Amino acid sequence: MNSALLGLRPSMLVFLYRRRLRAHPVQELLAGAGIAIGVALVFGVLLANAGLTGSTERLVRALSGSARLTLLARSPAGFPEALTGRVRALPGVRVATSVLRENMIVEGPSGRQPVQLIGVSPSLSSLGGISQQELGNGALLLSGGLGLPGGVAETIGARRGTRVRVIGNGASHSLGVGAVITSESVKALAGSPVAVALLPVAQRLAGRRGRVTQTLVVPAPGRTAQVANEMRALAGGQLDVESADHELQLLSQATTPNRQSTSLFSAISIMVGFLLALNAMLLTVPERRRFIAELRMQGYDQRQILLMLAFQAVALGLVASVLGVVLGDVLARTLYHQAPSYLAVAFPIAAEQSLSIGLAVAAIACGVLATVLASLSPVLDLRPGLPADAVFRDAGPSGGLLTVAAMRWCGLAGLVMIVLVGALVAIVPAATIFGGVALAVATVLLVPPMLAGVAGWFPRLSAGSRSGAVILAASELRAISTRSVALGAIVALAVYGSVAIGGARDDLLNGIETATAQYHSTAALWVADGSNVFNTDGFPATVTKRLARVPAVSSVRVYRGGLIDIGSRRLWVRARPVGDPTMFEASQLISGDFTHAQALIRQGGWAAVSSGFAREHGLLVGSRLRLPTPRGLASLRVAALTTNSGWPGGTVTLSARDYSRWWGSAEATALELGLHSGVSPAAGAGAVRSALGPGTGLLVQTSAQSAARADASAREGLRTLSDISTMLLIAAALAVAAALSTTVWQRRARLASLKIQGYHAGQLWLGLLLESVVMIAVGSLVGAVVGVYGHALAAHWLTITTGFPAPFSIGAGHVLLTFALVTAIASVVISLPGMAAARVPPRMSLQE
Amino acid sequence: MSALRLREVVKHYPSGSETVRAVDGVSLEIVSGELVALYGPSGSGKTTLLLLAAGLMDPDAGEVSFDGRDLAGMSARQSAAYRLNDVGFIFQSFHLMPGASALDNALIKLPVSGHTLREARAMTEPWLVRVGLGERLDHRPHQLSMGERQRVAIARALVGEPSLLLADEPTGNLDSARTKEILELLRDVCHERQVPGLLVTHDSEAMSYVDRTITLRDGRLLEGVYEELPELSTLANS
Repeated sequence: MNSALLGLRPSMLVFLYRRRLRAHPVQELLAGAGIAIGVALVFGVLLANAGLTGSTERLVRALSGSARLTLLARSPAGFPEALTGRVRALPGVRVATSVLRENMIVEGPSGRQPVQLIGVSPSLSSLGGISQQELGNGALLLSGGLGLPGGVAETIGARRGTRVRVIGNGASHSLGVGAVITSESVKALAGSPVAVALLPVAQRLAGRRGRVTQTLVVPAPGRTAQVANEMRALAGGQLDVESADHELQLLSQATTPNRQSTSLFSAISIMVGFLLALNAMLLTVPERRRFIAELRMQGYDQRQILLMLAFQAVALGLVASVLGVVLGDVLARTLYHQAPSYLAVAFPIAAEQSLSIGLAVAAIACGVLATVLASLSPVLDLRPGLPADAVFRDAGPSGGLLTVAAMRWCGLAGLVMIVLVGALVAIVPAATIFGGVALAVATVLLVPPMLAGVAGWFPRLSAGSRSGAVILAASELRAISTRSVALGAIVALAVYGSVAIGGARDDLLNGIETATAQYHSTAALWVADGSNVFNTDGFPATVTKRLARVPAVSSVRVYRGGLIDIGSRRLWVRARPVGDPTMFEASQLISGDFTHAQALIRQGGWAAVSSGFAREHGLLVGSRLRLPTPRGLASLRVAALTTNSGWPGGTVTLSARDYSRWWGSAEATALELGLHSGVSPAAGAGAVRSALGPGTGLLVQTSAQSAARADASAREGLRTLSDISTMLLIAAALAVAAALSTTVWQRRARLASLKIQGYHAGQLWLGLLLESVVMIAVGSLVGAVVGVYGHALAAHWLTITTGFPAPFSIGAGHVLLTFALVTAIASVVISLPGMAAARVPPRMSLQE
Repeated sequence: MSALRLREVVKHYPSGSETVRAVDGVSLEIVSGELVALYGPSGSGKTTLLLLAAGLMDPDAGEVSFDGRDLAGMSARQSAAYRLNDVGFIFQSFHLMPGASALDNALIKLPVSGHTLREARAMTEPWLVRVGLGERLDHRPHQLSMGERQRVAIARALVGEPSLLLADEPTGNLDSARTKEILELLRDVCHERQVPGLLVTHDSEAMSYVDRTITLRDGRLLEGVYEELPELSTLANS
């Protein structure tokens, strides 16, 4: 077992590594910590990304089971349940089962949560999936109660048997919890924001007696296409026929901007992670080079030394990467555990991280590879012709000094990349994410020349200074080594990512805030379903008359809206009453004449559509638009192009009258209330709530409250980006501070010599602090400048490619805050070890 | 006339349950222009003696003075001022800053004396010329040979025009040719500038270049040629 490899027994490799660990435990610990942090960053971001759609994917797949096709309603009002029977009777159909899905709120003893109520038939059990595990023959269906996933039950404080309120469609119902679905029983449902009930129960709760929104179909083998055609004929152009997992395509489109943004962060995290590993390994270079020289002088050959280096790198990389994966999992579960709530209006989405073996293995492999690559620099000592003990005569810093030519080439390459990225994104806006990654590389390339420039400029600036600390810092800064570049690059990358994506996020939030403020400004009060910031959940409009009789209310207008699926997009349909002061938000106009477009929409037969959707379908102002509605294809013309008002799927804005006509629905999805002059919004809201009574499922809000709720939802949706950005900054600042502290610690002998020459501890400490702050500030500056450029490109991409409202604003406050945060954290952290190093006893510089 | 004087100096260290008698009743005087080589085996107290002379350590007993000033009675600030203004120190490991040029490395003491970088460069350049590095002012340490690096370190010790030169194994990392150059340079500097110099060394070759040789053994000073000490003879012959 203990056979020799290249003359070295494995036990000898272990012995040598143990010797190293005993001799330099702190350096090895720091190196391991750097690698672990890098892997944690990468793994956490990847996991958060995967978790965003994971729960929905599991839910959709579990619900559909073996179904291949689905008949889908084009509005929450659904279609008659009897249609499922007709589908079942089609030749080639093996199973057809009805499903009703409706957004509701469940309220328990300790809270409330928006959920998607899923009503299922006993025949669902024949599809396999979740039904076979629990729903088809378990206690839930027999009980006639509500099935709640463990997460939802915990949030609202419900257990089996607890009576909860189910609010939706303008009404509220009390119901017992029949089952709490735990991960052991139905894993797919356990983390989803859903509630499950028997179809008749769900129909009663949703106020949709005899109606369903979906029929899941299992065709006979080889007859899928034929069945689909038959179903289309049955649908009569008023229902959609899609593959059973079609919703996943819609979700994928809706989460694309979020996914791409976090992908950019993933790429930056990978780079930061590698640099952290590289830097951490560079800390150990001096010792390892001396150790290699000793081994060579003892007679070890090059291959044996390479084997030993590889073994040590793999061992360290493996242990640190496994630790990093655990840390990343914790990060993803705690910090990044945020589901964008605005998506929950359209999809049963929940951020749910579960440790992915594939991702974990990939992250560990990356960590080990980075460690091996980062530990290669001592191998340079094995070059032919180099004396074995060359290291003992080396006066350069560990990691080697960068030559002026190398730095110039780096700078040139960085600038060329920046120019090329600008040109590429101008021609192909969709390549912005790739451009963002290329800019991150350019950021790294620009660090060496910038450091060199500042190091050259600093002594000139300090030529008149009489401060020993300043001159000391100026002299030390001139050693531009691989290590100092790696340190600067880590800071630069973190700041770049934060400024670029943080800036774009701020633009988006500003754009959405402007849009929501104008969207809600058409009424003093909004009455709508409690959970839906997009006003797409219907309720009977019968309440209108009651509200119109409230003395404070001057007018009641019925707003209608919904979601329709076109291709891979789930579009937000906004149907405004013609009495509204504006039919769409002036700030969101991209193309067309605002006043004329409004007049056209009021007149009927015209709509404003979002630019991303319009481009995808070749629509211009004046073009004919065909919308699939519950009454067939609506033929409308495009009055204007707008942004998507914050909904990634895109928007269509038409008049409520057109909507009623094409959707065939008298339901309201919101009521816009005007108030008599002299009535404050708060007083008006109070009066309206009284009129609705305590049992209502409707929420009454002032215009400002409604806008604030929508803004909060948008902010929450983008919170993961903020969290990743902050985490990246803090990790980078701390890692750089730790690495700088080690560097300073390794310089104690030289500091001691300066003490003998008359420097006192305070001067040395100030010099160290100044040198560190300058290095971090240079990295931050490069990151901030390229970050602002990246931010401009990202804002352009958001506006042009995705159609989001994201007007570019440089966000100097955010840039300065990021710059200051990184510099301050790193400076504060290194000040203590710097002080300790400056207190080094002078005798340390002497040889005993 | 500047002179370094040690009178009945005692310095003991506790080491576990024992006491190491690093310096045990040493008396020594080095006068202006005199370069003295201090030999001794490892642990004989050479470095302790150097630290006492540099004012970095107070004796347990006896007196260490330079130019009539008692170093033990100095405050930390006065002691630092003494090293800054009076002492030039040369290290075995050079302790040069890797990114800084030879000129900037050699001037590093001067800013502490209140000189600007511009003034310091002007003051330092002649010293680098003096040690033979006039053509290598802008070279960085890794671009210099080991001997040249030590020359930079010597220039650094001299730029403040010290009144006392202390050197700790200055030739410890050099080959014999470079050793000869450095020793010649140190001797010439002491003679030209009329400063006393104490050279701690293991190098037998130093004998030929110094004015006097003393040996420290078990904390006690033995005046005379090193061949009289069997241990050092062995060292020299090796």
